Amino acid sequence: MNTSTPVNPSASPRRDQRTGSRINGEYIAPLMLLLLTVLMIFASRLISPALGSWSQMLMIVTLSTFLLLVSFGQGLVILSGGMDLSVASLFMFGGVMSAGAIGADGGNVAYMLPLILLGAAAIGAFSGIGIALLGIPPFIMTMGTGIIVASLALGASGGSTLGASPPLLSALVKGSIAGMPCILVFFILFCLLGIFIQKSTVFGRNLYAIGGSLGAARVSGLPVTSVTIAAYALSGLSAAAGGALLTGYSDGATLRMGDPYLLPSIAAVVVGGSSILGGKGTFVGTIVGCLFLVTLDSVIAATGLSQGWRQIVSGVVITLALLFQSGSDNALAVWLENCAKLFKK
Amino acid sequence: MSLNRYLKRYASLAASALLLCGVMNYALAADTPPPAKKYKIFLSLSYSGNNWMSETANIIKSLAKTPPYDKMVDLEEVISGTDPQAQISAYESMIATKADGIISFPISPTALNRVVRRGCSQGVKFFMFDSTVTEKCAYNISYITAGAGENMAQFLVNTLGGKGKIFMNRGVPGTSVDKRHYDGAMHIFSQYPNIKVVSEYYGYWDDRISQRETAKALAAHPDVDGIWSELGEAGVLNAVADRKGKMMPITGENMNGFRLGFINDDYRKRGLTGVSAGSPPATAGYAFKLMMEVLTGKRKLEPTNVEYPLPWATADQIKLCKGSTIADGCNVFAGNLVPEGFSTEIYNPTLLPEVTLDSALKGTPTPGMTIQPLPAAIVKAPDEPGINCEHCQPPVDQYRLTKVTATVQP
Repeated sequence: MNTSTPVNPSASPRRDQRTGSRINGEYIAPLMLLLLTVLMIFASRLISPALGSWSQMLMIVTLSTFLLLVSFGQGLVILSGGMDLSVASLFMFGGVMSAGAIGADGGNVAYMLPLILLGAAAIGAFSGIGIALLGIPPFIMTMGTGIIVASLALGASGGSTLGASPPLLSALVKGSIAGMPCILVFFILFCLLGIFIQKSTVFGRNLYAIGGSLGAARVSGLPVTSVTIAAYALSGLSAAAGGALLTGYSDGATLRMGDPYLLPSIAAVVVGGSSILGGKGTFVGTIVGCLFLVTLDSVIAATGLSQGWRQIVSGVVITLALLFQSGSDNALAVWLENCAKLFKK
Repeated sequence: MSLNRYLKRYASLAASALLLCGVMNYALAADTPPPAKKYKIFLSLSYSGNNWMSETANIIKSLAKTPPYDKMVDLEEVISGTDPQAQISAYESMIATKADGIISFPISPTALNRVVRRGCSQGVKFFMFDSTVTEKCAYNISYITAGAGENMAQFLVNTLGGKGKIFMNRGVPGTSVDKRHYDGAMHIFSQYPNIKVVSEYYGYWDDRISQRETAKALAAHPDVDGIWSELGEAGVLNAVADRKGKMMPITGENMNGFRLGFINDDYRKRGLTGVSAGSPPATAGYAFKLMMEVLTGKRKLEPTNVEYPLPWATADQIKLCKGSTIADGCNVFAGNLVPEGFSTEIYNPTLLPEVTLDSALKGTPTPGMTIQPLPAAIVKAPDEPGINCEHCQPPVDQYRLTKVTATVQP
């Protein structure tokens, strides 16, 4: 029996040559976006000289952290080809539970906080089970889970969310450690952790494979079911962590606190260069996407435009950011190509 | 045995059982007096999920359980969400089940008019609290016309000596209440050319969103001199306090966390002052008592717009309650008893003496308390187009100041 296998030349590892540059193509979108964000910060000085200051940067990082936590899980789920609409409810779950079950004395934080996060992960896993095992479309399954969680919270609390922020969470958002604001340290550590999970773990690579082609992933014998469930569980966990952190920031929780984070969490992932259909994207992109959205929001807020105009500007800028993303399959390239064709005629 | 005979046998059995029941009922009825009429009342809320809304519902529930109403009222709560269509269908089914009265927080001043009119024609009494409808056959009980916006604006102008940069934290865009407050405030601010509104944003009557938006505005305008805010002011205060350093006058509604700020020595030293006014949950209780007096015939009152007095407490009038009892004019609770976003205006010594902190938090009646009659006189609300009437003219002095006088001339 011949033990040596013939070497297939096309199977040898090759550098990604799609963009012809040394930089991996998938990092161009975040890079452009980062450039745009920095540009926006400098331009904002024209509106108010107070912008671009250290305190504004810190404010942007703080507000981005809540969004980043939600977007991390959302990104994993989108990478697998799904979508998580229950993040708003799980965000609220994390916030309301840490305000109510831990509260201002915070004596039980050491075991309550992990319990709350585990609970959120279990709820996320419930969605994952419905999607991976029962074949329910992610859209419907996560929406259902979200409604159930929100309704349970409404029923249990009667609308009134008693409680206060646990001191640990408040310190995490507002305190500082050796001159460095805790939230900045947390932000950086979480970014590193997120990049590691998505890029370098087997779990992360499996998500790319599943999102790229579910059929191929199944045939290759990847643990599709368990990886999908784990992605939704992580999404639930990180959304709840975001809610807990927001409770620390604003000293309390309400039942609707998660609502403003659902759509931006999807937007941050997509603006950061991930494909909404799954299989493509980086967490670096999502981080920049979060920073971009929050910066845009705060710069526009300073303009003194009326609310309607602010939202129009915000919508236009987000659309433009998507147009200018890299890759041959982006909207701008397609549009230019079509223009060229028209011209030739 | 044929089917026919079966039927006959059971029919006769059933008939004799019925007869027996009737005789027993008659015998019992002869001993006990006939029970008082039970009134079928529906509590219809639109959205829920914030402290304010649950407090209003709890106050109504606690009053319905307070004697003598505990034996007279059959109260059912329905939450229909933020969609007017859902509240319309909720009203429809309440009318269909022959409700005596519907007490409600209406989601829209105009969308519900048609169904309200239909209900009125079938003898249902509609009592709207806090928010209003423009349909004439409904009773509106609200503080909206009492001038929160303009009075707070004038207070701010007075405190700032007629000049400075200010923020405006508005409510939910597109609602008539937000518009009324904003128009009232702008009526005042626009008279002072040296008052500059440098940032105006929507806090959605939510402290978290208000805090975030205020933090953003502060980054752009750290030199702001004062803030005019609708509900969500506890979040505004948090954003200002987080920034360390100088604080400024803030006018807002009556969230507990906001009022606690006024008795915080550190905050006072850093320059915090202001006034707490705005939407009181107590209105709901007043509306319920008014409704019961009308239904039971104790009061003759045609459908009308009733004005609930505007709560008004300046920074130096804030007084901490001892524990959970409301006495000696105290108007804020310790931070460990209620959340920051708890609306403190739940009680009124003449209109709502039955209510305690437990009524608002849990919906439980106060032990030993019975329903006290309301004062005979009511305060009629002025006409405000789009708020409490459709084809009407607002009074000329619509934005007249009632709580403050202008100490700085424009």
